[in-house]
Amino acid sequence: MTLLHATGVSMRYGGLMALSGVDLAVAPAEFVAVIGPNGAGKSTFLNVLTGLVYPTAGKVLLDGRDITRAPPHARIRAGLGRTFQHGRLFDRLSVLENVMVGAAIRRDRSEAALRDAAHAVLDRMGLAAEADQAVGSLSYGRRRMVELCRVLAGEPRLLLLDEPAAGLNSGEVEHLIERLTELRATHRIAVVLIEHNMGMVMRLAERILVLNFGSRIAEGPPAQIQTDPAVLTAYLGEGYVHAGG
Amino acid sequence: MADFIQLCVNGLALGSVYALAAIGFVIVYAATGVVNFAAGQFVMLGTFAGVGMITQGALPLGLGYGAALAAMALFGVLFFVLVYLPLRKSPVVTIIIGTVAIGIVMQNAVLLSFGSWPFRLPSPLDGIMLQIGGAMITAHAVMVVAVTALLIGLIWLLFYRTALGIGMRAVAQDVEAARLMGLPVNRLLALSWVLAAMLAGIAGLLLGPMWFADVNMGDPIALKAFAATIIGGFGSLPGAIAGGLFVGLAELLGASYVSSAYKDLIAFGAMILFLLVRPQGVFGERIQDRG
Repeated sequence: MTLLHATGVSMRYGGLMALSGVDLAVAPAEFVAVIGPNGAGKSTFLNVLTGLVYPTAGKVLLDGRDITRAPPHARIRAGLGRTFQHGRLFDRLSVLENVMVGAAIRRDRSEAALRDAAHAVLDRMGLAAEADQAVGSLSYGRRRMVELCRVLAGEPRLLLLDEPAAGLNSGEVEHLIERLTELRATHRIAVVLIEHNMGMVMRLAERILVLNFGSRIAEGPPAQIQTDPAVLTAYLGEGYVHAGG
Repeated sequence: MADFIQLCVNGLALGSVYALAAIGFVIVYAATGVVNFAAGQFVMLGTFAGVGMITQGALPLGLGYGAALAAMALFGVLFFVLVYLPLRKSPVVTIIIGTVAIGIVMQNAVLLSFGSWPFRLPSPLDGIMLQIGGAMITAHAVMVVAVTALLIGLIWLLFYRTALGIGMRAVAQDVEAARLMGLPVNRLLALSWVLAAMLAGIAGLLLGPMWFADVNMGDPIALKAFAATIIGGFGSLPGAIAGGLFVGLAELLGASYVSSAYKDLIAFGAMILFLLVRPQGVFGERIQDRG
């Protein structure tokens, strides 16, 4: 059973083809990474999956249901959750309130239920002590964790993470990897991860999709991708691969 | 001393009405970025909703207040659907001009419906006087301050102790992120307009017995509410409250101790001073910091 199925997704901005016939299938509880050099179309692809932009061609199915033209909030309610490359937290709300907003798509939306749900997520992710702090007063690394908590509070079945490790120090990246590993084990959430930190990608991903100039150039398990000539060329350049190989 | 106490209580009562109008102003501005220049006409409409239900419709006061506020809530929904939604993708300036236009339409619609003759709206405490520190105060003035204090408490509870209010505050900060969290953004934006219209309605019902109900009453209220939000700080609820009370007190104390011809000088002078020296007001953000 496929949870998410994107087929032939293309996105054209005037004369620029940002995505060209990209396919991706994600099974429940599967961890897939989407990588590629800057400008490869990764964030555009995530925007298509989230509904922030509608593709010029192709389809996106969630649980077999066509959501290609569904608005973002309908997809969130259908089980999608997303974090942003440049975290978009509500700075004038407390940590707890931010996470309560994330929980607001649950069936029980009473204040007490949302508060309990938010506290549970903060406890699980190690942020309980900061619950009442204003988000604006937190360090960058903690803000990224709050964003992850906020999206987790909505109990997504498919989590889309847009460069969650960007700007984090090595200790914070390790903490993030541990939390994501735990989540996979305990909550069986499927994840699509966009990330430049290859160490993190190789440790977490079961399968990697590599994009370059909006097209798929490789797909497979981490060990295969690490030695794929097309991937090495995209990242390191033609001359390096030939000289090295 | 008795005169001073009397002026202060009446100033606080008038300031409470300005504060309610200013809170409606701030709620809409924070949620949508729109400076609603029809806010004064919202209050005028609230007064005339009361006139229609109580003075002309002869409904008992309690029922009349309920019906007038229900009409104002409906007006808030209509304003959202017919004015805000069609214009929401236009530049904010266009929406602001739209609110000015709607304000003129509202004023003339009321003029056509009720005529130019002023009405007096009754108060449930008509004729009751209280003696406070030797000063004779109308019970209505005390009720206005008490009702406003109660409403401010309820608004605080709504925004800080309910899921609905937290959602409204989230939408006020980042509409797109709120949409991506699955919040019903349009419903929450509509609620902001409904809340603003109902607060203006309450302000109008409280003001009716203090002033005459007149179709031109909205203009000075809009200016005073605007001055209150500038002084208190745009986008700030505590600022709207403090600013409203300051403007009300300054108006009555100025009329008594300076000159009734210059009664607005203190409030508008303070507003201009704040714009020059501290544009973010006492509690808020600078207007140009938004958007």
